[in-house]
Amino acid sequence: MDLSIAQRESRLGWRFIAPSVGVIGLLIIYPILYNIYLSFFDVKLTGDKLFIGLANYQRLLSDAAFYGAAITTVLYLVGTVVGSTIIGLMVALLMNMTFPFRNLVRTLILLPYFAPVISVVFGWQFIFDPVNGIYNHLVVDVLKISSSRHSLIGNPNSALGVVILFDIWKHFPLSYMLIISKLQSINKDQYEAAAMDGCGPIGRFVHVTLPELYFVLGTLMLLRMIWNLNKFEDVFLLAPNVETLPIFTYYAAFTGIIDQGFAASISVVQFGVLALLIYFYVKKVLKW
Amino acid sequence: MLGKRTWVENGLLAAAIFVVVAFCLFPFVQILSTSLKHQFDWGNPSLIPVKLNWNAYGELLGIRSAEQVDVPDSVKRLLENPSISESQRRKILDRYQTTSDVFPFLRYFLNTFMLSASAAAVSLCLSVFGAYALSRLRFTGQTVIQRSILFVYMVGGVLLMVPLYQMSVKIGLAKSVGGSLVSLLLIYIIQTLPVSLYMLGNYFRTIPYALEEAAAMDGCSRVEAVFVIIIPLSVPMLMTVFVYCFIIAWNEFLFASVFLKQFHQWHTLPLALQTLFMSKNAIWDRIMAASMLTMIPVVVCFLFAMRNLTGGLAEGGVKE
Amino acid sequence: MAGIRLENINKKFGKTEVLHQVNLEIGDGEFVVLVGPSGCGKSTLLRLVAGLEDITAGNIFIGDALMNRIEPQHRNIAMVFQNYALYPHKNVRENIIFGLKRAHAPKDVIESRLSKVVNILGLEDFLARKPAQLSGGQRQRVAMGRALVRDAKVFLFDEPLSNLDAKLRNQMRSEIRRIHREYQTTSVYVTHDQVEAMTLGERVVVIRDGYIEQQGTPMEIYLHPDNIFVATFIGAPSMNILDARLFDGYVELEGCKLVMENGTPGQHRELPKTGLPVKLGIRPDFFIDRRHAGDGEALAVIHNARIDLIEPLGFDKELDVQIGSQLMKVRLDLRTQATEGDTIDLCVDMRRTHLFDIDTGQRLQ
Repeated sequence: MDLSIAQRESRLGWRFIAPSVGVIGLLIIYPILYNIYLSFFDVKLTGDKLFIGLANYQRLLSDAAFYGAAITTVLYLVGTVVGSTIIGLMVALLMNMTFPFRNLVRTLILLPYFAPVISVVFGWQFIFDPVNGIYNHLVVDVLKISSSRHSLIGNPNSALGVVILFDIWKHFPLSYMLIISKLQSINKDQYEAAAMDGCGPIGRFVHVTLPELYFVLGTLMLLRMIWNLNKFEDVFLLAPNVETLPIFTYYAAFTGIIDQGFAASISVVQFGVLALLIYFYVKKVLKW
Repeated sequence: MLGKRTWVENGLLAAAIFVVVAFCLFPFVQILSTSLKHQFDWGNPSLIPVKLNWNAYGELLGIRSAEQVDVPDSVKRLLENPSISESQRRKILDRYQTTSDVFPFLRYFLNTFMLSASAAAVSLCLSVFGAYALSRLRFTGQTVIQRSILFVYMVGGVLLMVPLYQMSVKIGLAKSVGGSLVSLLLIYIIQTLPVSLYMLGNYFRTIPYALEEAAAMDGCSRVEAVFVIIIPLSVPMLMTVFVYCFIIAWNEFLFASVFLKQFHQWHTLPLALQTLFMSKNAIWDRIMAASMLTMIPVVVCFLFAMRNLTGGLAEGGVKE
Repeated sequence: MAGIRLENINKKFGKTEVLHQVNLEIGDGEFVVLVGPSGCGKSTLLRLVAGLEDITAGNIFIGDALMNRIEPQHRNIAMVFQNYALYPHKNVRENIIFGLKRAHAPKDVIESRLSKVVNILGLEDFLARKPAQLSGGQRQRVAMGRALVRDAKVFLFDEPLSNLDAKLRNQMRSEIRRIHREYQTTSVYVTHDQVEAMTLGERVVVIRDGYIEQQGTPMEIYLHPDNIFVATFIGAPSMNILDARLFDGYVELEGCKLVMENGTPGQHRELPKTGLPVKLGIRPDFFIDRRHAGDGEALAVIHNARIDLIEPLGFDKELDVQIGSQLMKVRLDLRTQATEGDTIDLCVDMRRTHLFDIDTGQRLQ
């Protein structure tokens, strides 16, 4: 063989990565581009296409339902990002203290994150069920806040709240895990120094803990935003009437009057936003 | 941390921990409790069933036949008559057991298991070599590929549902059961591949180069070293990645619903559970039992993977 | 077994050249130590021989075969790594015989070689253990065993003792010597520790900044360093390098006239000997307290050196002394009774001193 080590490495590298690159190129990169292409067509479920230029986008921009979905998405993102981060932070601070059975507790609170969406959504459905659910029992029979039983998930407005709560419940453990691993790396001396300087518990949190967590919190919020912009199952399975962008797209693509070209154009818009967030993430967090 | 806590603070701490744990666990307890309750008990806010009901589990796991309980008393009395033959008795019973009502949990479980396991296995095989190339070899175009993978890692499946469906319609895969299953398998592979590449790549970076160099000295080629050194050393991580991919596929609903909606026999668990939920709102015990049964393998897998993640095998052989 | 020949070796990492035109010939069965400060390129040179890095230019021969583009696994080389690089998932036995198994050696050959190596290294009791269950010294032995067990043409050692404590290091050093005597395999040994270089090497190659500064037997290098770098790098404590002036027949150091006897390096050199500034190199060990100097010896005398500090080391004492404005280290034996603050007259045999060019640092012959 007359190849240098560098040449051999390069060859082997390509041979090893080629299948992955092929699969990703064919089934992710190509579809992303194909999606943009499709967004200029009237596409039938059978695959027939008719070029219509920007008509899908014109329709999209004049569609009140699209704006509704966009607003729902923003509310959903704000609610879940802020909620899961704050709860994650609070729980991390709590779990950073010493108490009996701490390891057991730490494992237990990871369960919501690990459990499959499909096997917990119906439990949540049951909790808010108008006939049997504990929520209505509490609100109507015990606390007597309301006089009649409501289907919280049946009403799209209140359902959004339930979806956000569900999402926080499901995803705060991840925030918690990342925050606590950072918390445990903070040097104890810093707290003692701050205490010497006359900081109380709140002062210590503001002046020592928060600056240390700044970066991890930012990363978490950005990632949660990117992930939740793509969330489908968590929303659709719990409350199909909460129309965030992915669900709006799904309905356009596969139900009712099927219009996949229109759906493609929604995806393109959503992809644009996503690409922007990813760009931001890469610049700020990964610092390429 | 700083000083002792007073008993008031201890009380507050205990209360806070209780609230957090209750918040996390309540839905699980609710699911378990409802799965064991009889219908008359569902509206009862107490989490402890008045009378334990194992029917839902029995039925889902195929241990007992479905609607036996719903046979009216008059018919039951008729059945107890010793003069009717066994075959007649079966015929009468069958009238009350509409087979379409049976939820073939095990079948769905197997469908999901096969799909998820194959997707995870293929994805793992591809990513072992891909991740090795990305983390250990230098080649032209590496940076571009690495960044693209990170990028597609964050592009969710939702954005691809229309083009992927159209592609599979175009080449005729979406028409048949087999084609749909293949499409779904491919989709699960690409949904898990970037993650596995990323996770494995990071892990491979922690294995000292000197081990491979030692293997080269001992007569291994680069490829052989992957099989003899890298893979055996990464077994716990490979299992973890497998489990992770498996769970992603196990949970997937969107594409399953797009491709398998009309093929009832081939439903995956998420799709089947959702269908069950939409069609028969009244049978909470069965839905909850199915939820429990879907969850258990995943939780077990995860606990297992978690434990393995912390066991660093590479330490000891090399001194830092 | 085979010799190694390196011809005009050049190595660049990106734009930085780390080895420049290195030529080195290692004889069959020879034990050569490459020594130099960290970052000098000695490990890179070793890795080039092993085939773990590409050479940028030049040729490497093992025996008579050109190795430039031969993959490491086909070079029939055994290597002991600095961090041992034991396979963590294999036990000691599997670690040692791995290479033999790869080469499809017959079972009885494997067993007999294994038992010989295990015997030499005293690893009998650890065969079933994993590397994580071994101490540093034991891991080191396993790494040695893995190299020894194979019938390799060349052994390469990449700072194999640097992770051991001083006592173990001494012990392993003698063991490596013993093993080399028994196996007689061509060996290249890289270290930054000049003591290891001196004690192990049949030949020592001193490398700095990618250049070979000097090569020779340990004593040649110790007694006749080619330049200031080698002079100060080899030997502990380090050689004193002092500012002096060269005159005809003597060197003037801070007002002391040090007469050069026949055989003093630099004596016959055609130089303008009228006060040429030079560097004078004297090893601390070569000073003698004037009171204990024998009569027959022709010694130069440095008068009135003031003692700043005395460190008693048992048989020896290490003194920091000042002559004029210059400081030097002096090692005297325990007979010297002087105390800190005293002045002392020191004798030195000028034939054991060195003169270096003040600009190039090269030795004046």
